[in-house]
This record gives sequence, C-alpha cells and structure tokens, in this order.
Amino acid sequence: MKNSEFLKLSALELVEGYKKGDFTVSDVIETALEHIEVNERNLNALITPLYEEARSRSWMLDAALARGEELGSLFGVPVVVKDNITVDGVRTTCGSRMLENWISPYSAHVVECLERAGAVIIGKANMDEFAMGSSTEFSAFGPALNPWDLSRVPGGSSGGSAASVVAGYAPIALGSDTGGSIRQPAAFCGVYGLKPTYGLVSRFGLIAFASSLDQIGPFARSLKDVAAILQVISEPDARDATCARKERPNYAEFLNVTSLEGFKVGYLAGYESLEIDDEIKRAISQTIEICKEAGAEIVEVDLPISTRYGLPCYYTIAPAEASSNLARFDGVQYGFSVAADDLKELYLKSRGSGFGPEVKRRILIGTFVLGSSRYDAYYLQAQKVRQLIIREFNAAFSKADVLLTPATPTLPFKRGEKLTDPVKAYMADLFTIPVNLAGLPALSMRASMSQSGLPVGVQLIGKKFGEGDILKAASVIEQVVGPAATALGGDRK
Amino acid sequence: MNEFIPVIGLEIHVQLSTKSKMFCSCSTDYIGARPNSHVCPICLGLPGSLPVINERAIMYAVRMALAMRCKVNTHTVFHRKHYFYPDLPKAYQISQYDLPLAVDGHLEVNDDEKAHKIRIQRLHLEEDAGKLVHAAIGGRLMGADYSLVDYNRSGVPLMEIVTQPDITSPKQAREFVSRLRQLVRYLGVSDGDMESGSLRVDANISIMEPGGKWGEKVEVKNMNSLKALERALEYEYERQKEVKSKGETIVRETRHWDDDSGKTVSSRSKEEAEDYRYFPDPDLPSLVVDERTIVQLCKELPELPWEIRDRFISDYGLSLEEAEVLTERRDVALLMDDLVKGGSPVKVASNWIRTEIMRVLNERAISAEEITIPSDEMALLLSRIDRGDLSTTAAKEVFAMMLEKSLNVDDAIKALGLSTGKLTGSDLEAIVVKVLSENAEVVEEIKAGNDKKGKKVKFLQGIVMRETKGQADPKEVQSLIMSKI
Repeated sequence: MKNSEFLKLSALELVEGYKKGDFTVSDVIETALEHIEVNERNLNALITPLYEEARSRSWMLDAALARGEELGSLFGVPVVVKDNITVDGVRTTCGSRMLENWISPYSAHVVECLERAGAVIIGKANMDEFAMGSSTEFSAFGPALNPWDLSRVPGGSSGGSAASVVAGYAPIALGSDTGGSIRQPAAFCGVYGLKPTYGLVSRFGLIAFASSLDQIGPFARSLKDVAAILQVISEPDARDATCARKERPNYAEFLNVTSLEGFKVGYLAGYESLEIDDEIKRAISQTIEICKEAGAEIVEVDLPISTRYGLPCYYTIAPAEASSNLARFDGVQYGFSVAADDLKELYLKSRGSGFGPEVKRRILIGTFVLGSSRYDAYYLQAQKVRQLIIREFNAAFSKADVLLTPATPTLPFKRGEKLTDPVKAYMADLFTIPVNLAGLPALSMRASMSQSGLPVGVQLIGKKFGEGDILKAASVIEQVVGPAATALGGDRK
Repeated sequence: MNEFIPVIGLEIHVQLSTKSKMFCSCSTDYIGARPNSHVCPICLGLPGSLPVINERAIMYAVRMALAMRCKVNTHTVFHRKHYFYPDLPKAYQISQYDLPLAVDGHLEVNDDEKAHKIRIQRLHLEEDAGKLVHAAIGGRLMGADYSLVDYNRSGVPLMEIVTQPDITSPKQAREFVSRLRQLVRYLGVSDGDMESGSLRVDANISIMEPGGKWGEKVEVKNMNSLKALERALEYEYERQKEVKSKGETIVRETRHWDDDSGKTVSSRSKEEAEDYRYFPDPDLPSLVVDERTIVQLCKELPELPWEIRDRFISDYGLSLEEAEVLTERRDVALLMDDLVKGGSPVKVASNWIRTEIMRVLNERAISAEEITIPSDEMALLLSRIDRGDLSTTAAKEVFAMMLEKSLNVDDAIKALGLSTGKLTGSDLEAIVVKVLSENAEVVEEIKAGNDKKGKKVKFLQGIVMRETKGQADPKEVQSLIMSKI
C-alpha cells in the first residue's frame, strides 16, 4: 500500500491495519502530517497543527502495539479537533484574537475520551470566531477553504474540521454545533456531520457560545466511523450538569440494516416552495425514493412555526447566552489584554480590539435582549416560541421516525459572498437551527454531487436520543450513494 | 419631636461550611492559604468549564430555611447576575433571582424581654467572589499602583438571607444577627464568624416620619462585628434624623461604615441602578428539591436554641436569662442536659456551667464536647458542691485536676491533698482558734466595735477557709469565729 493511500482509509480501517501489522501508527501519522504541511498553505483548515505532539504520541502508541497491549477503539487514528475544544497544554483560540495565546490547563471530556480510546490529535481546526458564522471567514486566523473548490467556503463555523476530513488530514474530526455549525459545513464539504441530542455529549471543555444549544459532534467519511466516534465521545460525564446519565446504546448495531420495513420517514410539507437550490430539491426527492425502495413509509410533516420563527427565536436566545458566556473575556485573568489607565478602559479596549465584528454584533444583540426592560419582550418571548417549536417537533415525531430535510438552502457559496449581509448569512441556517432549539439529533450527509461538481447535502433529524434511527436510515442511503470521498483543491481523488 | 422611627431590613451573607465550593470540588478551607492555591478551571471561570451544584450546600440551606420556618421551593432556578469586576472571573455571579430556594419565614428576637417576629423575605444560594488585594498602604484602592486578585474565595457557597423591613432599632438588628449567627452554628451550616467575613451583614435603613411616611432607604455596608452593626445603624439613624430636621432630603445611596471614625461615608449613588441582565443559567438545569427530602431534613433538624431555652425554663425551672445563656451555644446546652441526666442538681449545674465551664471553654477556645469528664463524674462533683462537701474554690481546683489529668473526683481530691470528708466540729474549731490567736489585733478591733461592715470578720473567715483548703462550710466558719470572739 502506498503511503498516500492511508489518507483515504477510514478510522476503523486504520485500526484494522494496525492490528494486522500492515502499517504502524507512526507511518500513518507521519504521512498525515506531511500531507497537512503541504496542503495547509492552501486550505488553512487548521489553526494549530500539532506536529510534535502527534509524532511523539505515535511512537508511544507503536510501542504499546509492539508490547501487544489491548488497543482502544480509535487506536492510532488521527483526529482533528475544533479549536473551541480544550486540549491540556495546547493553545485553544476559538478562532479569536482574544485567545490567540491562551494555553488550556485542562482537556475537554471528549478529548479525554478520544485519548483513552487511543486517538492521536493532530491539529486544532479553524473556525468562525467563537463559533459564530457559517463560512469560517470570521476566523481571526484567515478563512479556511473548501477542498472541492478553493474559491468557495467550507461552511462554518466548524469549517476547518469539515475541510480536514474531506482533505484527508484525518478520517474523523470533532466540531461543535449551535445552529448548524457541524451540519452545514458537512453538507458543504460532502462528509458526514452529526449533531447529537442535546445532553448526549458532555460540553465540559467546549468553550461556550450558547450553552443551551451547543453540542459537540463528529465529522467522518463513513457511517461506521460516525458510530465509532460517537460511541467514544458520548460517555456520560458528571462534570456537565446537562449531560444525560442514561446508558448509551451500541451505535454500530444500527448500521446492520438493509431494509427500512416498518420505518417512517417524514418530509417537510411544501418544502419545494421555499427558496432552495434545485439540485438540493432533487437530492431530497432521490433520497425519498431510496428510502421508499428500502421499504420505508413516506409521510408528510408540517413544521410551520419552526420554519417561520426558528431564525428570530434563535437569534434572540443564542446571542443572549453568548453575551453572557463571552463576558469573561475581559483582559484581566487571561487572554488578550490592552494596557489601560483604569479598569473601565481596560475592559473597553481589551474587548473592543480582542473581538471581531460578528462576535461584537452578537454580544450587542444579546446584551440588548437581556436588558431588564426588554427581557420579557425578547428573551422570554423567544423561550416561549422555543417551547412551541419543541411541541411542533414532538407532533411531527408522532408520525415519523426520522425527518428528511435539506441541510442548507444553497450549495457552498463563494468566498466573501455573504460577508456584507448578515441576515442573508443567517438564512443559511434555516433548516438546522430549529433542531438545536428543540435539542434534537441530526445528521447531514452527502446525497449526491451537483453538475458543477459540488457535494449536495441532506439532513436527517431524529427524536431525542434517536441517533440510532438516524444511523439506520442513513445506512440504507449510504448503501446506495456510497461513503464520502476525499477531495483536494477541486481535484477529486 | 423625636418621633422618627427607624425602619431596618437586613441582607445577610453566610458562607456555608461545606468541604467543597458551590460549583466545583475545590476546598473551601482557604483562610491563611497561599493565594490562588484553592482554584481550578471552574472557580477560575476558565473557558470551557462548567458548574455542577454542590448538593450539600443545598442541604445546608434547606436546613436553615426550615429552621426559620420558610417555605422551601421544590423547583428552584439559578440565574446569572452580570457585572464586570476583576474578582468575578466569569463576569457573572451564579445566584438566584425570582425562584429562590426558600421564602416567607421568620425568626424571633428578644428585645427588652419581649419577643419580636422578624419576617424573612427570602433565602437563596450563590457563589462568593474572589478577593482583590490593592498594592498601596493599608491595602486601599486609592493610590494603589496595581491590584492583585486571589481567587481562593471564588465559588465558596454563600447563603443570602433577606429580612423584611421589620426591625425597629439598631439594638434589635444586633439581636437579630446574633440570633441568626447562633442558629447557623446550631445547625452546623457555618461558623458564622463576622470578623473573618463568613457572616456579612448589609443593612437598609430609612426613617419613618410621624405621619407614617417612609423615607428613602440607605444601604450601609462594611460592618465587621455585631458592635459595628449597632453603631453604624445608630449613627445612620441620627444622621438621617438630622438631615430631615434641616429640611433636606435623604439621598438613596450606599454608605460605608468606617469603624475608626465611627461614621458612614457615601460610596456610590444608587440612582442609576445597574442592570444585571439576570437570566436562568443554561448550564444548570432547574433544581428539584423533592418533598420527601424536605420532610427528611425537617425530621433531622436538631432541637433549636429557642426550643431548648423554653424547655430549660419549663422542665428545669430556670429563669429566661439563665436559659438564654445556657443555650447560647449548642455544645453548652447539650452539656447542661448531660449533667442533669447524670444526676447533677439543676441549679448547681446551671451556675457551674455559666461560670466555671464557660470560663474554661473561652480560655482554651474549646467546645464543651472536648471536656472529656464523664457526666456522672461531673454530677458527683456538683452534688458535693450542692451538699457543701466541697467549697466552690476547692471544686474549681478539683475540676481543673480532673480535666488536666483525666482523674475521677475522688482521685483528684486525693491528688490535691484534700481530704474527702469536710472539715467540721472540733477539727474546724481548732483551726479557728489558731487563726484567731495569730490575728489578735484584728480580734481586738472587732471587739472594740470597729467592724461595722463586717469586713474584718470576712478577712478572718478567708484565712480559715484557706487553712482548711476550702473544705469547711463558710457559714459554719463564720459562726465559729463569732462565737469565739
């Protein structure tokens, strides 16, 4: 096997290869690091590649392999981690100047889980500043690019994670999703991206954007890898009071299906009339056909409140929580700080120049809606709408096991296209946002390729803790469409 | 014209004596520790960290709420209270807002022998902030070149108790805090120490005009002792009356008590009230304290100070004053019960505890539980005092010996060279005769009628008592002296 072939293997194939002695961890890591070094000049998918750390860990793991130790489920698998998830001793920037030099003294729960499972963290992924954005253009470290077409964005905010996986830096990556930040870049990059049920994965060590919406989730190029990494990172954690304590199922088991007999797939009534790219509409129809042929019953569901009020509801609650979560970046204890003559000036200057434009915009909105004289009219009202959205989804799930919707209204857009009109940019999250508001799991996956050679994504939404249902439906679709491919600079491999 | 009545409400912050902090597992035992040695990513508010509620803190607060007859909310919510200050690492304090842990209770204080019910408006939990250390003379902010922050205190559980404005005098305010401090100590939820800051009191005071119209309220802070609290409120009451009598208006503001100058000083105007942007903390699901837990905690409440006091009055026939002193501390009240159960006569036990035992406890700064003398041995000692077998002076020595060497009564008496029986009759008479002959001049003076106040007889009596090592009955000694002269 040529070394470059390693880059196309899935996580589970790598683990198999190590076990059989086909190659060593350092072979794979070395290849990945070289590949990263060459391609980062174009892609900018990583903020901090971890060359030294990854190398020394690969030697350690090879030694363990030689000793015949029992291997973890992600043994020797390179992983890219979004740069809002802390790794002990490694800088965690959140894509912001504010944390440009902040070295975390502790690891996130998910990172501990990955390391226990034997994974090798090879880099911290580029992202929109504090996960606010849908193009990775709001990174203080320059935009990441879409490996399918370098003139286009990889989506965001987890754009660096998605780009890393499609570019072959690593078979799997972690991102975070507050309003679509895993699913939209996964769709734009043509890989799998799962936002788990709120409370399935511990947020301990995830730098908060909007605490009631944030959830860490995986990117991968195969469903088996999705299941494997989800199994690892969803280990219950008492350090997150919102993390569910219930037992997690064996996710891989849901993939052993060939039929959707007795399974109901819902689709959004009247979605055709929404402003959606024709190629995406076609992909939805094709996917419905695949499910139907596998024996699924296709039902129509209605989500009028979510479609109409999801965005304004989200853009009230998320900035409110963000304005609170980001208040701690005040230039006092850590992070970006500007010398000043008094305390107030220290705060104003540090926050004024440490944060980028999109973050400031949301802090302003959030501060506004939480004001005591406006709280009832905005924040409280939005919470009521949120309850209605939850109810609406509950009703939909009384009719269907999973819902099939577009992941995004458009194909990957050009760089700079949406920078000037924030509201237009917010529209890109129309289908993903209600899922966060309702705390549901959803997977975005490639359903086809456009005529222009870009991936076309769809979204499968499950009920609370219904990751298994999603994997089941997705597995049937994957059997027809095939797993995700790698791509580099428009040159598909 | 002195008809302005003070209207006082208190806001009391009590640090709970849990082992770990409110939302992380750091130790709360930070007094005297190296700065920033009791911290972790959570209480430092580092990015990505999350709070988890300390259940023991909830238990402690519920205990306190139940003791004050509050209604405990089964659903309670933690809110974020936002403001920027370097001692607040997240720039918000996790506190409670419109759904506090408990509401509507009361605590009774005795002021001028009368019981007054002070209503409790609310009781809630929050986290403490860190501490700023200013690098200037006396640690003041003014003129400091820089300030340092110590986060050891950050995240320590704080219970905030807010009263209704039911308090009508500075003295009553003092009584109230004293009662509350007694209660937290009884319940074992806090050490209640004001000097070290584990119990902090802010007072709102206004004056009510003769017509019943309320004045603007002023918040007074920085009182570090009960005495300071009373003084500050007295000062503020007088100040407000004076402002009124000049025809000026009282400004709604916060004033700091300066213990050295004995004055309150205006610190910041409350007119532009800060907007704390309260909202429910999304990191903490709403807390459910179920009925069963509440009932269980209620059952586990110890006998409360006023309950023991009333029992001492009714069962032991003690006066209110005696009973108050005996129940001031729970350990002492329990000792009283122990002694009586062990067979000590009530009156002697009460006297002995209030004098000798309190002295020993205070001198050694120990609790009554640390007195290792078995209660039946104590009872034996006290019975001997009661029967007059031992004088109080001798008994004190015996008691000290028992404590020191862990001896029983008889061995202690032997060790001190005291005979077990009491000196009386002819043995005593011999000593009296000896003492009188050695002090012939004094005897002469008495005979000459120069002892109208009886001081000289007392002097002789004292010498005899010393000679007998306190084993004689002072009354018998006195009558013997009189008969011999």
